[in-house]
Amino acid sequence: MKNTLIFLTAFLTFSSYSSFAASQNKVKPAAISQIELKNFEALDFPYDKGESGLLVWEHTPELEGAQFSVLVSTVSDKEGWIEAVKFSAGENTADKINLPFWSFNKNKNKYAVALEFNNILSSQVKEELNYFAKVKIIKGKNISETKVLSSKIKGNWFRADRLNNLIVFLVVTLVFFIVVSHAKKKGLFIRRIAGLDAIDEAIGRATEMGKPIFYVPGIGVMSQISTIASTFVLGEVAKKVAQYDSYIKVPHYDPIVMTVSKEIVKQAYTEAERPDSYKEDINVFISHDQFSYAANVDGLISREKPAACFYIGYFMAESLLLAEVGASIGAIQIAGTDVDHQLPFFFTACDYTLIGEELYAAGAYLSKEPMLVSALKVQDFGKLVFMISVAVFSLLLIIGAKMEWKGLAGILTEILKVY
Amino acid sequence: MKLFKKYIPLTIVFLFGIVSLASYYVPNKLSEDYLEVMNAWENIVSAFGFFLGLISLFYAHYMKIKKKVDGWGYSLFVYIGFLLMVVPAIISKGTQLNPDASLTWLGWAFRYLYNPLSATMFSILAFYIISTAYRSFRIKSLQAFVLFAAAFVLILGRIPVGQMIWDSILGFTKVTAGEAIDWIIGVPSTAGKRGIMIGVAIGAVVTSLKIIFGIERQYMGKD
Repeated sequence: MKNTLIFLTAFLTFSSYSSFAASQNKVKPAAISQIELKNFEALDFPYDKGESGLLVWEHTPELEGAQFSVLVSTVSDKEGWIEAVKFSAGENTADKINLPFWSFNKNKNKYAVALEFNNILSSQVKEELNYFAKVKIIKGKNISETKVLSSKIKGNWFRADRLNNLIVFLVVTLVFFIVVSHAKKKGLFIRRIAGLDAIDEAIGRATEMGKPIFYVPGIGVMSQISTIASTFVLGEVAKKVAQYDSYIKVPHYDPIVMTVSKEIVKQAYTEAERPDSYKEDINVFISHDQFSYAANVDGLISREKPAACFYIGYFMAESLLLAEVGASIGAIQIAGTDVDHQLPFFFTACDYTLIGEELYAAGAYLSKEPMLVSALKVQDFGKLVFMISVAVFSLLLIIGAKMEWKGLAGILTEILKVY
Repeated sequence: MKLFKKYIPLTIVFLFGIVSLASYYVPNKLSEDYLEVMNAWENIVSAFGFFLGLISLFYAHYMKIKKKVDGWGYSLFVYIGFLLMVVPAIISKGTQLNPDASLTWLGWAFRYLYNPLSATMFSILAFYIISTAYRSFRIKSLQAFVLFAAAFVLILGRIPVGQMIWDSILGFTKVTAGEAIDWIIGVPSTAGKRGIMIGVAIGAVVTSLKIIFGIERQYMGKD
């Protein structure tokens, strides 16, 4: 009993001392002072669809070595504060904002913090939003806070950062109209494209051998430019096939492409004055799966042994699967795609290959319609503009490096960049 | 008749082409909503298109079987393959895993029928690459020689013994096989690729303009 009393007394003494010591050691929160940042503004982020805000202020000598904590709230100016970003002085300056020099003042002495509310709120911003923001500045043991600013984020109506892109587009469009109107008056010279000149030869060979012609439009869908270009070529090839009274087969990966191709081939047969030769089974749907499609077309090529195979459109890994089987049966093969990493396969396995933009030119080249042919001149003009630009910009960069013009490389890069 | 066959389709193409083009330069929610609606419509049209495709497929193979053309037996596999996937999909209500993480009928069909067949087709590519490489390496012209030389250096640099051969023959140049490969890939190969890509981009713009302004209208038949 005596021992218990001694233990209890000792315990109570120790506990009361601990509580007293703890109360003495409790750190009082440091007083947060108010600070005025130079040109501190809360804005809507420019040229976006209304999901971000922008906080800017100028750098001053007293901010050297400070840490900034940007707090935002979408509730009120009193509560709901979320720390959006924390950074040290010298970071998050205006030149780090991913906008070109003509649309944003990229002053290195200015802080610019993009407030991406989709990330901050972890949900998609769907309508105009009012936000409140303040900056906490920590410098050693001193903590100060700015006044609370508010702003509204909303969707903008023009992407000024894409102005470079728009100017190039408008110039190309202008040239397009000039050249097309010129085409009405007189014809234009167009360089020969060997792959397209060989189409007659391929169809003639198939006709002589009494074998079919295969036209494979690839695995693109109708919204892809290469597939659209392929249907233009199909129209011209089908017309020639109808004139030669040969037989064409078009296996499809996409049912919509098949429906469009059906109309095109039917029209081609009508134009060739052979509507009776048109058959519904010229265009067949195979499969909407890449390798099932490749397997089936390979099977068809192996069994029916066409004299000519055309692979024109959008292709991926099946390019070589198809072209090698065609080569193994000795068919004359003409390919065309805008997928640059599939071109080597076609180069090696096919007799002729339309490279990139030649695919887009093919329909016009074959139809020989002045309006369409003239559009090819626009492509040549565009290439000329790019070649001149590359030469001039390269020269400027060399001169800039020699003369030590700082920032020139950055300006040139921004002019050429797609935002 | 021309109104329905020519002018109305051309007007639709023009309007939607211009609005879609403008949406690239207008970041507003409105343009985003417009693109979402367009995508939804594309999916709806695709669904109907797929139905048409299925009819075309079944009809073509039915005719082959009916006429007993060469290889008509393969056409039977179209129906068998279709049933092998569709019936399990209906039974499994479109899911591949049961609540206890075991495979449903559809999951089994995918894992043990579809995936191996797909992988087999893809693996055939390896053999075709060898046969096509053999064809490319038959030097028949100056261009073929350049292609061969570049490919030879790349192959040599990618194998350990290649580095030894390179050092013994071209060691005096102080250039390693790795550096030579990096230069080939980084300079001539990239330059060629970028040239093609620029041409493709310009071609795509011009083709789009031809379609938007109704100069190219083969896709809807001629007048």
